[in-house]
Amino acid sequence: MAELRWPEKPTLIGTRITRLDGLAKASGRAKYPSDERPEGTLFGVVLYSPHAHAKIKSLDISKAEAMPGVKAIEVIAKEGATLRYHGDDIAVVAAETEEQARDAVLAIKIEYEILPHAVTESQAMAKDAPEIVKGGNVRKGRAITKGEPEAAMAKADVTIEATYSLPVITHVCLEPHGLIAMWEGDDKIVAWASTQAVQVTAGELAGAFKIPTSNVTVLTEVMGGGFGSKFGADIWGVTAARLSKKAGGRPVKIFLDRVQEHLAAGNRPSATGTVKLGASKDGKLVAMVAETHGTGGSRGGSQFPLPYVYDVPAASRGHAEVFVNGGGARAMRAPGHPQGCAIMEAAMDDLADKLDIDPLEFRLKNLPEGDFKTPTYEAEIKIGSEEIGWKEKRKARGKNGKGVIKRGLGMALHTWGGGGTNDKQVTCTINPDGSVELKSATQDIGTGARTILAIIAAEVLGLQPTDIKSNIGNSTFVPGQASGGSTTTPSMSPPCLAAATQARDAFFAKIAKAVDADAEELKLKEGMLWINGQPAMPWKDACRKLGMTSITETGKHQPGLSSTGVAGCQFAEVSVDTETGVVKVLKIVAVQDSGLIIDKLTWESQVYGGVIGGLNYGLFEERIMDPTTGVMLNPDMELYKLAGASDIPEIVVKAYEPPEQKARGVIGVGEPPTISTAAAIGNAVANAIGVRVPDWPMSPRNVLNALASASKEKA
Amino acid sequence: MKAFEYAGPTSVEDAVKLLGSSSSAEALSGGTDLLSRMKDYVTSPERVVYLKDVKSLSGINWNPQVGLAIGAGATLAEVVAHAGIKQHLPALWQAALEVGTPQIKNMATVGGNLLQRPRCWYYRAGNGLLAMKDGKSLVREGDNRYHAIFLTEGNALFVNPSSLAAALVALGAKATVLGAKGERTIPVEDLYQIPKKEGDRELTVAPGELLTKIVVPPGSGKNASYEARQKQAHDWPLVLASVNLTLDGDKVEKARVVIYGVAPIPWRSEAAEKAITGKAVSLETASSAASAAVEAAKPLSMNVYKVQLAKTVVKRALLAAVGNRYWEEA
Repeated sequence: MAELRWPEKPTLIGTRITRLDGLAKASGRAKYPSDERPEGTLFGVVLYSPHAHAKIKSLDISKAEAMPGVKAIEVIAKEGATLRYHGDDIAVVAAETEEQARDAVLAIKIEYEILPHAVTESQAMAKDAPEIVKGGNVRKGRAITKGEPEAAMAKADVTIEATYSLPVITHVCLEPHGLIAMWEGDDKIVAWASTQAVQVTAGELAGAFKIPTSNVTVLTEVMGGGFGSKFGADIWGVTAARLSKKAGGRPVKIFLDRVQEHLAAGNRPSATGTVKLGASKDGKLVAMVAETHGTGGSRGGSQFPLPYVYDVPAASRGHAEVFVNGGGARAMRAPGHPQGCAIMEAAMDDLADKLDIDPLEFRLKNLPEGDFKTPTYEAEIKIGSEEIGWKEKRKARGKNGKGVIKRGLGMALHTWGGGGTNDKQVTCTINPDGSVELKSATQDIGTGARTILAIIAAEVLGLQPTDIKSNIGNSTFVPGQASGGSTTTPSMSPPCLAAATQARDAFFAKIAKAVDADAEELKLKEGMLWINGQPAMPWKDACRKLGMTSITETGKHQPGLSSTGVAGCQFAEVSVDTETGVVKVLKIVAVQDSGLIIDKLTWESQVYGGVIGGLNYGLFEERIMDPTTGVMLNPDMELYKLAGASDIPEIVVKAYEPPEQKARGVIGVGEPPTISTAAAIGNAVANAIGVRVPDWPMSPRNVLNALASASKEKA
Repeated sequence: MKAFEYAGPTSVEDAVKLLGSSSSAEALSGGTDLLSRMKDYVTSPERVVYLKDVKSLSGINWNPQVGLAIGAGATLAEVVAHAGIKQHLPALWQAALEVGTPQIKNMATVGGNLLQRPRCWYYRAGNGLLAMKDGKSLVREGDNRYHAIFLTEGNALFVNPSSLAAALVALGAKATVLGAKGERTIPVEDLYQIPKKEGDRELTVAPGELLTKIVVPPGSGKNASYEARQKQAHDWPLVLASVNLTLDGDKVEKARVVIYGVAPIPWRSEAAEKAITGKAVSLETASSAASAAVEAAKPLSMNVYKVQLAKTVVKRALLAAVGNRYWEEA
């Protein structure tokens, strides 16, 4: 095959195409894994630790086993086991109904030996803190140093020093974690899983039962969000399969409830950073010294990038991992970046204010010279600043009028990879009846993967996306990408283009004789077969020339069709009521590059979703732990606050896609647009009220506290 | 939730009998509070008595001579849709408008709003209303950002959860309660008490009694409510103030100022009432009254910010009552 390239004048790629399963999803007809209920399903309910730290002295399931409807019980934490957080798994009951399983869970008798806990970072870092992990609760990594930051800082004309913090937040996937597992005979498992990686899930199940991975079928037709927290079968999925085995192969369904989702199904680690940042009078950064810490629960994972985006000639950064009795962190949409971005961008704004330089100009002055992203940032900042009205509307920090409600503008930059892997495949089948089917063991985490594959095949075959059956979400198909790191589209698009192109060429070769032409004279467009530049017959008629046999081609990765590395910037306009501390976001402008965009509509949806997630991080979300009892106080969707429709501002999404971006090929976009929203909101609040609110979220409490300490300092 | 017996009476008499003849019965109307308590095993009644088929509990009657009679079973959506309430009792209308979501307002009732149990997260996590452990208050030692700033020398540190109560107390409304021994009518503020020890209830309505109606007397003065909350969509007020002012010319002859979200009961601020009485409501006098309102506040470790919030909502409710919405000016 000649070197593959994206079509120069596409008819579908880059246009706005409705997702193929959009109507089914919006109308409630789409069947999510948690909607499945195969014949004979048993319901599994998890018993989890009510304590932050405890040892199981004794555990008695005999009474629960005798309860009505109970078919099997699986103990996860046996006698003598240590429970490390509120929500840690103990046992699962499978019963005929969910209610029976819940009643039986209450009948499991456990004696705990309560151990001392540390659930907040301040508890864990206290001098007399109980040691909750061997080796100490605070693990300080070696500082990463570039140049001589202390010496450079001493020479800086202007410096700021401040401490900023962001709380632990949870993923809050609308569909909870879980799966339905069913044994077929002694050595085969079928599972309906809400996962962002059907093949990883299949591998995990196969490994747990020592059966070949090919004996496990994991199905994920659609799924209700993962954001990085749903990469495998998890202990719950493996336990569902164990229970199914115990129950003679009957399907066992375990989906977590909302409380468990908050407690045990992952979170984004917290971040606190004390940052010293220095610049020369003319606004060039000279040095940064940062000491940071964060918690990812009892297993770590709180690292984040800092310095971020900007060129800091001399920098040192120390990070301490703090262990607490809390649910473990998992990857969450752009792991680490939102934290690093918020802390860096807050410091950048505070320094710009002290330098008395427009923070936009300050940013432009400090982009890394020679970096391929720098011209992109410059172009994006120009677009975004015009869209938000930076020049006309923005006032200097704290100069936003006499009324009690102040308006302010803020901005922030971000970066991400978004490249793909090169070992994934797609098969494309053309049938004599004209139907076309794509297959791959990837899945649609919500980005529109199914639609994107169909668009690419339809582009090659001169059809419409709705003509293509895009069959994904099945682990037994050819290897497909796990949906994390914004890698699905860049990993899957090249093999999809290859598969469709190979299938088309094989199709031409096969029918050429029958249509009395050379293969080179054939073309497909507008649903027709064209011969020598003339429409000859409809697609379906041409397919009939295949006779009885279908064509199936497997496409593999091709170089030059995808790339990695994106920039991106966001602007926020907010109003802040200085008497109540209530922050309203009025407008967000998001400018984003991501190479060649396949479907402008689903691409924009990703940016909208990213911005809304970032707005929640900026204004509302916070996991709140009780220091005394060690439990999470807000494991719900009421006091764990998330935006409702009326909290969503005007969101302007601008794709930055000049020819040189298109030429880069496909790059993922799931993650970048959520990174800088909270940072931009924080900067807009500071601009509005003239005071930095150092702690996220921008809640009335944090805003009023910041205003109060500022007025105390003045007094 | 635990299994329970379900009863669906159609008359108040039957409802009272059913509520009184079980060792633990709970009345169910909109279910926006009870069902979540049952799911969390905070409340596990033997019997649930469904009230929405008791037609005599519904309805809103407005009569300029008699006042406003609201059946305990009237929904918040009905209160919001009532033109008379909107026109004459904006304090009540505004408080009802800002509750929950349209879906919740369609289900939730006035009686249910008044008698819902506190939202204190220690109570909802099963630690009891006073949330004491080993002689110490979990609230005082723990995360009390949403808790009381008044009466904090005691151990009842939760806040009364009904924003309608604040408005109705400001408007001098009365509640009718029916029990096995007959009917009694009490001021709305007397629906609540401060529990002294664990096991005491914060509601005065006894098991087996039923709140049947609320009457707001005629001749309300200039009244208004102002609420501060974090989110625009579905959220609880952090604090809310309701005021009712009887004016003589432009001078305040009589004032009622009630604050939600600051005490285990609807908090009547006599200090603010005294400060504004005899004066015309202006930015200056409202600010002084607001300062007076929070003078005796004793916030906990994490809710100092609520003092500022309480001050602001009192000031804004007083000014809103006379049509001054200064905060909306750019």
